Amino acid sequence: MRKALLLGSLILSTAWTASSPAAAPTMVGKDAPDFVLRTLAGTNLRLSEFRGQVVLLNFWARWAGDSRQEMPVLDKINTTYERAGLVVLGVSVDEDLRRAREFADAMKVSYPIMFDTGGSNIGRDYLLEKMPMTILVDRSGVVRYSHVGFRAGDDRIYLEKIRELLRE
Amino acid sequence: MNLKSRVVSIIVGAMLFAGASAADAAAASAPAAAGPPASAAAPAAAPPETPAATSGATTSDFKTLDQEVQGVKKDIIELNKDLFVLEEELLFPANTQVAVYVSMDVGTFFALDSVTVKIDNKEVKNYLYTAREADALLKGGVQQIYLGNLKVGKHELVAFFTGKGPMDRDYRRGATINFRKGVGAKYLELKITDKVLKHQPEFTIKDWE
Repeated sequence: MRKALLLGSLILSTAWTASSPAAAPTMVGKDAPDFVLRTLAGTNLRLSEFRGQVVLLNFWARWAGDSRQEMPVLDKINTTYERAGLVVLGVSVDEDLRRAREFADAMKVSYPIMFDTGGSNIGRDYLLEKMPMTILVDRSGVVRYSHVGFRAGDDRIYLEKIRELLRE
Repeated sequence: MNLKSRVVSIIVGAMLFAGASAADAAAASAPAAAGPPASAAAPAAAPPETPAATSGATTSDFKTLDQEVQGVKKDIIELNKDLFVLEEELLFPANTQVAVYVSMDVGTFFALDSVTVKIDNKEVKNYLYTAREADALLKGGVQQIYLGNLKVGKHELVAFFTGKGPMDRDYRRGATINFRKGVGAKYLELKITDKVLKHQPEFTIKDWE
């Protein structure tokens, strides 16, 4: 009986941990590490050149199912808040560049998509462990919010934080 | 003023400022904390103060504090500058320092995308240029693309320039220089210029001996 209870509680706690969003990495409050990457359009973009604007950084991978749900949502946010000073940047961490490009082409988002081809330290700098990961950077270049994964309704949290930062 | 005495003066300034702020806060909160009975007794207990004398002393206190704060800020900026120079001297001492710069004097024949620098066959830098950075170079800016250490002796530097050439075609060119590293710091400049006669960009490396 005792063993069954122990096993049951172990299963329940594992299920609860798996279902709840992973704890955000501790980038919040720190300066967003600068990086420069090539975009799908062929230009190069540097994060620090957006200082003065609120930046939403979305790290994604083709193999992360949540990315497929999240990107159209971010596209809508970009369209709505671009004129208010929000910059949305997508960063692919896929190792297979060709497939990542095909995926990005297919998603047809309006914001720039950049590709980390392995030459940068972006994964280590941003403590990337799970995909997708979304980070909000304020006008001073400080990380103010970090979110791992994506579920329906998470966009409401993004919008709340975005509005807060745009008002600053 | 040396580094140590500057640090000490900053700490003393900060303590003075903190002390003055605490004294002001205590003076401001004391009447509120005392309440009505104390305020009724206050006129009898405390000697009367003239408003002009009080405000004059406060204003001059604020001026002094403000000046001290400005002084501390200035010292911090100076200290930061000194620390940066010290760090560079420590990490890249003149006897082993090598610095590589990029300059551009071109507008027609080449749009810079990236530069890769290899020293003695080892890649030391790969830099991607944004439109803004390329524009800054075109306007006369000079970029320190690499700062490192090299032993005294013969070395080889190879630089690869990638971008868009004439007719918007992808363009990739290299330039090489063999140089001798002496006892002092070595400065090399990667120059991108227009060769008008050939309608092509030209890539050269200059050794600032």
